[in-house]
Amino acid sequence: MVGLSLGEKHFIQGGIAQDIRSDGRKRLTYRPINVETGVIPQANGSARIRMGATDVISTVKAELGKPISLQPDKGKVSIYVDCSPTAAPMFEGRGGEELSTELSVALQRSLLGGKSGAGAGIDLSSLVVVEGKICWDLYIDCLVVCSDGNLLDALGAAIKAALSNTGIPRVQVAAGASGDEQPEVDISDEEFLQFDTSDIPVIVTLTKVGRHYIVDATTEEESQMSSAISISVNRKGHICGLTKRGGAGLDPSIVLDMISVAKHVSEQLINKLDSEIAAAEAGDDES
Amino acid sequence: MLHSKTFVKKTRGGKVNKQVREHYLRDDIYCGAPICKLCDSSAARLSPSASTILLLDTNVVLNQIDLLENPAIDDVVMLSVVLDEVKNKNMGVYNRVRALCSNSLRRFFVFANEHHKDTFVKEMAKESKNDRNDRAIRVAAQWYQSHLGGAARILLITNDKENKRKAIAEGISAETIESYVKSLDRPDLLDLVVQPSSEDVEMEEVEDLRPSKRKVIYTEHKPMSEITSGLHRGIYHQGKLRVNRYNPFEAYVGSESIGDEIIIYGRTNMNRAFDGDIVAVELLPQDQWHEEKSLSIADEEDEEEDVHLVPSSADDAPRTTNLVQGCSGDTNAVSSRPSGCVVGIIKRNWHSYCGSLEPMPLPAGSGGTAHALFVSKDRRIPKIRIHTRQLENLLDKRIIVAVDSWDRLSRYPSGHYVRTIGEIGDRDTESEVVLIENDINSRPFSSQVLACLPPLPWSVSSEDLANPVRQDLRDLRVFSVDPPGCKDIDDALHCTALPSGNFEVGVHIADVTNFVHPGSPLDDEASQRGTSVYLVERRIDMLPKPLTEDICSLRSDVERLAFSVIWEMTPEADIISTRYTKSVIKSCAALSYIEAQARMDDSRLMDPLTTDLRNMNVLAKKMRSRRIERGALTLASAEVKFQIDTETHDPLDIGMYQIREANQMVEEFMLAANVSVADKILKHFSLCSLLRRHPSPTREMLEPLLRTAAAVGLNLDVSSSKALAESLDRAVGDDPYFNKLIRILATRCMTQAVYFCSGDLSPPEYHHYGLAAPLYTHFTSPIRRYADVIVHRLLSASLGIYKLPSIFQDRSQLTSIADNLNYRHRNAQMASRASVELHTLIYFRKRPTDTEARVVKIRSNGFIVFVPKYVF
Amino acid sequence: MEFVSPEGLRLDGRRPMEMRQIRAEIGAVAKADGSAVFEMGNTKVIAAVYGPREVQNRTQQINDQALVRCEYSMANFSTGDRMRKPKGDRRSTEISLVIRQTMEACILTHLMPRSQIDIFVQVLQADGGTRSACINAATLALADAGIPMRDLVTSCSSGYLNSTPLLDLNYVEDSAGGPDVTVGFLPKVDKVTLLQMDSKLPIDIFENVMQLAIEGCKAIANYIREIMLENTKQLEYRRGI
Repeated sequence: MVGLSLGEKHFIQGGIAQDIRSDGRKRLTYRPINVETGVIPQANGSARIRMGATDVISTVKAELGKPISLQPDKGKVSIYVDCSPTAAPMFEGRGGEELSTELSVALQRSLLGGKSGAGAGIDLSSLVVVEGKICWDLYIDCLVVCSDGNLLDALGAAIKAALSNTGIPRVQVAAGASGDEQPEVDISDEEFLQFDTSDIPVIVTLTKVGRHYIVDATTEEESQMSSAISISVNRKGHICGLTKRGGAGLDPSIVLDMISVAKHVSEQLINKLDSEIAAAEAGDDES
Repeated sequence: MLHSKTFVKKTRGGKVNKQVREHYLRDDIYCGAPICKLCDSSAARLSPSASTILLLDTNVVLNQIDLLENPAIDDVVMLSVVLDEVKNKNMGVYNRVRALCSNSLRRFFVFANEHHKDTFVKEMAKESKNDRNDRAIRVAAQWYQSHLGGAARILLITNDKENKRKAIAEGISAETIESYVKSLDRPDLLDLVVQPSSEDVEMEEVEDLRPSKRKVIYTEHKPMSEITSGLHRGIYHQGKLRVNRYNPFEAYVGSESIGDEIIIYGRTNMNRAFDGDIVAVELLPQDQWHEEKSLSIADEEDEEEDVHLVPSSADDAPRTTNLVQGCSGDTNAVSSRPSGCVVGIIKRNWHSYCGSLEPMPLPAGSGGTAHALFVSKDRRIPKIRIHTRQLENLLDKRIIVAVDSWDRLSRYPSGHYVRTIGEIGDRDTESEVVLIENDINSRPFSSQVLACLPPLPWSVSSEDLANPVRQDLRDLRVFSVDPPGCKDIDDALHCTALPSGNFEVGVHIADVTNFVHPGSPLDDEASQRGTSVYLVERRIDMLPKPLTEDICSLRSDVERLAFSVIWEMTPEADIISTRYTKSVIKSCAALSYIEAQARMDDSRLMDPLTTDLRNMNVLAKKMRSRRIERGALTLASAEVKFQIDTETHDPLDIGMYQIREANQMVEEFMLAANVSVADKILKHFSLCSLLRRHPSPTREMLEPLLRTAAAVGLNLDVSSSKALAESLDRAVGDDPYFNKLIRILATRCMTQAVYFCSGDLSPPEYHHYGLAAPLYTHFTSPIRRYADVIVHRLLSASLGIYKLPSIFQDRSQLTSIADNLNYRHRNAQMASRASVELHTLIYFRKRPTDTEARVVKIRSNGFIVFVPKYVF
Repeated sequence: MEFVSPEGLRLDGRRPMEMRQIRAEIGAVAKADGSAVFEMGNTKVIAAVYGPREVQNRTQQINDQALVRCEYSMANFSTGDRMRKPKGDRRSTEISLVIRQTMEACILTHLMPRSQIDIFVQVLQADGGTRSACINAATLALADAGIPMRDLVTSCSSGYLNSTPLLDLNYVEDSAGGPDVTVGFLPKVDKVTLLQMDSKLPIDIFENVMQLAIEGCKAIANYIREIMLENTKQLEYRRGI
């Protein structure tokens, strides 16, 4: 990636200060979001989100497994992000690993809550089949196909869309199992359980450039940032997770201010996303 | 043309796996009716004048396959959805349907409705798979109706009430199979129709005719999921059920998890399982385990049962059949064997059985359907209840019956009649029963097979002579020695004295592979048959007669093609060199054993042929003594010779087969040839040679022999084949037949020699116990054994004059060929013995005789004797 | 197991000489210099080309030619069972090498000395024939990036099951254990540039099977040309001509 010249840097910073960004958006406007669901039929659920040039694919695969002994009534979810070298040559080989790990961890923190499983955005108790013995393991895999800034938001949105597209097959437990043995499960071919995704939070990243914050920064804008905060907010307006990146220090009042701005933005984003996802699902059903 | 539709399926396997498959819909699938104007009728199979075209439901195909094979049912369209379901449910029926469809005489057409864009049916929500398939059948029927216009009537045959109702509602004519067969007005066909089970039609009273036995109820079989979990947990055991031939209420299940056999005793415990089914067994509590002595007639001693299976053989039946029991005064009578009861059947092994109906009084008024009990010739199969309209016809006939189902409430399984063989006791009928029971194909060769033969009259052509690969050995003094009246001569010998004092000895075998080419219908048919079967009154050939008796047969005074093994050996019968070559020979004499022996014995004869015979004899004796030195066994097998009346074909006299020196001489050289060839092909093809081995019998197998010998105070050393041979030689008693008896008993304890593929086993396991040879194969009788044909091909390839067909590269195919050959060989042997038994019975039927006998075995309710004069 | 039914239909309804449905799209990845998506049946592959650009690693720079590098990676979710390690395993390395050699043979590398061309191929869905789909996608991506090439490289696989040569095997047919021949072909100059085979095949049958694959390659080449023509027309239209 070619670096930016001084003139370009000034242009970007100045534009943001004046509430006109390089592509004409206002500070708190998102790029047009394009949602497609069901792109990978082999997975239980999948979605592809395009925010401008940023292109991510997210899939959900469900497998049967054993719940953790500490939480016998909950299922398990694991999130994994992979940066494809198609997105940027520097992601080739092991180059993208750092970024991938960072994104995975951030996503996990935002969506899954703490170690005890409390406060997770996804309701894990709906994943259990036989308490203590069998539960669903969800593997959420994301792939960054093309990167043009604001990866975390896009990934969060993609996961939300993929989960709403996910169908988990209905399981019937065979009667007569006793004691410690593994009970037999009969998996139905036809029926599926749809996930309830209304509670899943979205992630909003606010990038501070100069004295103002913008949402949905492109790569160039991100290169100018001093610091950024990613906040995951759910429909009720509760904050599910918070990450601060960037070296510059932030005054606490600014942080609070950013949070309230994020909350405000998130409402619109959630509505937009939901309608887009519904449209995509409907379109998918018809085809 | 192409249209893609992604199709989602889910499979199991511990984890859930979503699978996506493509499913293309086409518009170039034709309907198969020649009257259709829209489709290309080059592939049409249905008849142009068909008035009614039948579409069959899956259950109809599965249950009524015998009826479908009857030529009266024709002009049938098989939908691919039906075929797939049949394939998943019953592979045997599927193969038969496929055979019907590819048979050009029958008008069955396969319509790929799943891939036709107009008849493809997508699964609707909440629809079960069966409903969807039924809907697909109905849609296909409707499509056919609209496609063919009114040219033919489309009839959907289904026994499912729901399906029928919906079909009629949609405008498709539908009928049950019974009503259709009735409409054909052929009462004999109605017998073939299987009675529907209770779900389809209101059940008639099918209870036993004896009211006192009405309610014998079997426990329900457990569902498959429970059985699998039970197997995992070790409370159930899986194994193959083998029913005791002498006591059909007793069976054994060989289970690896226990390491011993589980006895199933009693009809209730057998719970509707048949011999050969794979069952799941639950052990009974230990106090209910049967003790040994109660199993009186349970001894599994039977001539046919020296099919002892080798510890590491490919067969999947369990190991020893020898149960140490029976004799009173035996050691621990209290040690019990694990007993159990059958809780579920994992895989059924039902097929058609020969037998006859139990005699019963005719019902008043003929023409109605009667229930009859069918008793199978094989005592291990329970009686089968069938319905028939022709009771009085069938009562004295041998018939074939197939099993359909065994309800919990019914004492006997239900089946249906398939066909009649002939009258009971009639020699030809009983012979045919023997053939059917042993799965021997005695049908005449098809025209395709006969088309592979060269035209008659055949003689060695100039190209054959000019072929550099073939050596011209017509100047050698070649002769053959065979049983009298033998027309299929596959081996000939020559023995020339060399100036050095050594002998050049040659074994010439008919060059069958010159005429039987791999992949040809002739080869496939021979491969299936595996061997010629020798019954008393006839011979079922593996290859067509023109080949066996003329073109390949090394008759005297004609030039013939051969495959030769030529040794140079010293007067002490040590082999100096061996060479193999294809050749042209001209036999100068086709002698019988008696003639050859007479010539050798007559000291006045000094002609070159007799000199050769004598030289060979001397060499043979030396080779034989060396073999015995190494430990070859000479066991007496009771071979019976019948003299058949040429007109009635009834047996006139029975006698023992005489073994003369001439027999042994020929045998010796054949063995030597087989050993040499085995060596050669193994050297070149160490992984894909077809060899023959004889596993050493285990201690347990020799138990009965040792016990019997001990009972008369004889100690046999069985540590090695040589020791056994020597012990047997020393076993002489006052009774002149004693030695023979002991040898016969020893034969029964032996394992069976089997063919195998060299790549499947390690060299120490190639050993042939009986011949005390490290390597052995069959080479010398390609006219009557398919194994020899294979070995001929291997030998030619090792000489570099033949390209080995690709089948040899596929180890698993070779193994299955070897398994088939072993199966056919065993069956041929059993059929021969059964035929001998049959003729013996026929012989004695008219001539009750008193004669001397020897007691061989005593059981608690009987004893077995050996009749030396008639050798059985 | 019956892969070709006696009626002449394969498991998914194709005839033995028919390919799966192909679909291609140019310009999927906006940031890349050239990119394409190529679908063969259920196998879906994205290729992105970055270059010619300055060589990142000075030691690898070639003075009279361009350096061509390639990486093949499969997404976690691309196969039926979830893969744990998407990159760096032996199969990926081998395929990367194969693609690199194939493309290098047809790129006019001497026109761009001291530069580097990166080809990245990402498999989104794998259902048999991934190698071929990758090569086809790479060709399209290179064309989209405007990199000069001798000819288009197209690739197709074929096999031999139930004694019938089959074109374009899918995953089920591939895992049947029969031979699998992958051919890379330059249609205009009529030359084979890649040839790989698994399992055993007698020589006389091999010729037929290879011929069949070459026919497949020619068909794909026609399709690719159409797509590129379409793409060019679109570009023209956007420019307002």
